[in-house]
Amino acid sequence: MIYVNWVVALAAIIFTVGTIGVMFRRNPLIMFMASEMMWNAAALAFIAYARQLHDMNGQVMAFVIMATAAAEVGIGLAIIVSVYHKRHRLDIDEISRLKG
Amino acid sequence: MSATSMMMPEYLILATLLIAMLGIMVSRAHSTLPSWLGLLGSLGALWATVDIWTHHLKPEVLFNQSVSIDTYSLFVNVLVLIAAGSTILLGWQAERHHDEFPVLVLLSALGMMLLGMSANLVTLFLGIEILSLPLYILAASHRNSLGGEAGLKYLLLGAFSSGILLFGLALIYGASGSMNFTDFASAVSSHSPILGAGLVLALVGLLFKLAIVPFHMWVPDVYEGSPDSVTSFMAFGTKVGAAVILLRFLAYGFYLSPDSWGPILGYLALLTMIVGNLVALTQNDLKRLFGYSGIGHAGFLLVGVAVHSVVGARAMLFYLLPYGLAVIGAFAIITMISNGDNNVTIDDLRSLAYKKPWAAALFIVFMLSFAGIPLTGGFIGKFYLLQAALFAHQPGLAVGLVVGTFLGLGAYLRPLQAMFRRDGQDQALAGWNVNWAQIVVLVVAVVGTIGIGVYPTPVVHWVNQSANFFWLH
Repeated sequence: MIYVNWVVALAAIIFTVGTIGVMFRRNPLIMFMASEMMWNAAALAFIAYARQLHDMNGQVMAFVIMATAAAEVGIGLAIIVSVYHKRHRLDIDEISRLKG
Repeated sequence: MSATSMMMPEYLILATLLIAMLGIMVSRAHSTLPSWLGLLGSLGALWATVDIWTHHLKPEVLFNQSVSIDTYSLFVNVLVLIAAGSTILLGWQAERHHDEFPVLVLLSALGMMLLGMSANLVTLFLGIEILSLPLYILAASHRNSLGGEAGLKYLLLGAFSSGILLFGLALIYGASGSMNFTDFASAVSSHSPILGAGLVLALVGLLFKLAIVPFHMWVPDVYEGSPDSVTSFMAFGTKVGAAVILLRFLAYGFYLSPDSWGPILGYLALLTMIVGNLVALTQNDLKRLFGYSGIGHAGFLLVGVAVHSVVGARAMLFYLLPYGLAVIGAFAIITMISNGDNNVTIDDLRSLAYKKPWAAALFIVFMLSFAGIPLTGGFIGKFYLLQAALFAHQPGLAVGLVVGTFLGLGAYLRPLQAMFRRDGQDQALAGWNVNWAQIVVLVVAVVGTIGIGVYPTPVVHWVNQSANFFWLH
C-alpha cells in the first residue's frame, strides 16, 4: 500500500508544479500546458487508486480525462493562435484590455 | 422504465445537434435553418421533460449509478432549455454569421442537463467539460479583439479550475473507494485527511465555475468580451449547472458531515453577496454590471446550499427561475440597443424612457425583479432564501442577504435613472433594432417574472417536488 501513496505523492508534486506554472508564467501557451499537467496528475492519481482498490472505475476516468484533455487542447490552441494572429505577441500581462 | 425513454430530452438534444450540423453543411451560409432546428430541438426536449414529469414520476438511477433521473434533474432540464432556447432566439440576427452558434449552445445545454442528473464523479466531470468547451468557443467568437481575450481568459481559468476539481475528485475517489456520490457518506465518518483535502479541492473547482468571491475574477472580463446572447447564456445556464451540481454533490455525498463544509460556504456566500453587489454599483458597462450582479446572485444561491436543509434546496431551486427570466429579459433589451460592435453602457440608455416607453417599462420590471421588489419573481425568491437562512438559525446569513439586496438595489437603480435622463442631441438609441425573436424572449420573460411574483403557487409546488431528491440518497 505504501507503493500507492508514493505514486499519489508524485501526482501531488506534478499537480503543484502545474499550479505554480499557471500562477507564475506569463505565456498563455505555457500556462495552458501547466494546467494540462494538473489534469494529468489527476489522471495518475486515479490510476494509482484504481490499482489499489482493484476497481476499473478509476481507469475509466483516466481515459475520460485523456479524451476531454485532447478536445480541450484542440479548442485551446485554436483560441491562442487566433489571439496571436491579432497581436503577434503572447504575454498575458499585455492581453489586458479587459480589466478585471 | 427504460433508459431511452427516461433520457429522452437528452437524446432529443443530441439528435438535434447532429441534424443541425448536417443542416449547416447542406444549407447556404448564414441561413436560419440551424437556428430553427435548435429552437425546435429545445422545445421538443422541453415537451419530453414535461411528459416524463407528468407520467413517470418514479426516480430512476441508470448506467451503474452514473445518472439519477428524478424531479430534480427534470426541473433543471426545464431551466436549461429555457436558457438555451432564449439564447438561440437572442442570437437570431446578431449571430447569423456564425452558423455553428445554435449547435454550440445546444451542446453546452446538454452538459448542463447532464450536471442536473449527475450522481457520480465521471458524469460530474463530463458535465462540467461538455458545458465549458463550447462556451470557450462562443466566448471567443466576438469579431473585435475583446472576443479573443474573453475566450482566452475563460479557457485558461476554466482549464485551471477543472484541474483543481479533477485532483480533488481523484483524492475523494481514493479515500472513499467509490465513484458514486452516495458511497462517500460512509467514508466521511472516518475523517480521513485525504478525503478532506479532496473535498476542499473539489469545492474550489466548483466554486470557480459558480463564480463565488475569491474565485470570481474571470466573470466580468468574460461577460464583457462575449457576444450579448452568449453572455445571457453564461449568466443563466452556467449558474444553473454549477449550482445544481454543487447542491447534489454535497447533499448526496457529504450529508453526514454538514459541519465540515456548511459554515465555510456560509461565509463565502456572505462575502460574495456583499462584494458582488458593492462592485456592481460602480460599473458603467451594462454587461459588467450584470457580471458583478450575477456574482452577487451566485452568493444568494450559495445561501441555499450552505444551510444544508430541504428548505434551502427549495429556495435555491426556486431562485434560479426568476433570476434566469430577468437575465434573458434584460439581455433581450440590451441586444435591441446594441449596435453590434461596442458594448452597451449606462449612457446608451439615456432617454430610453421617452423614445421607447414600452421597452423602458419592461427593463424596469426586470431590474426590479433582480433587486427583489414585491410583485416580481425575484422578491419571492429572496423571501424563500431569507426563510431558509432563518430556519437554519443563521441570522448572519439573513442579515447579509438583506444588505446585499439593498446594495444591489442601488446598482440596478443607476441604469433606471439613466433611462429618464433627457438628451439634447439625437444620438441616443442610434443602433435600435428589434426582431420577432427578441419579442418572443421578452414576452416569455415578462410573463414569467410577473406571473411568478403574483401567483407563485404552481412553481412552488414543482420546486417542492423536485427538492425531494434531498431524501433520496
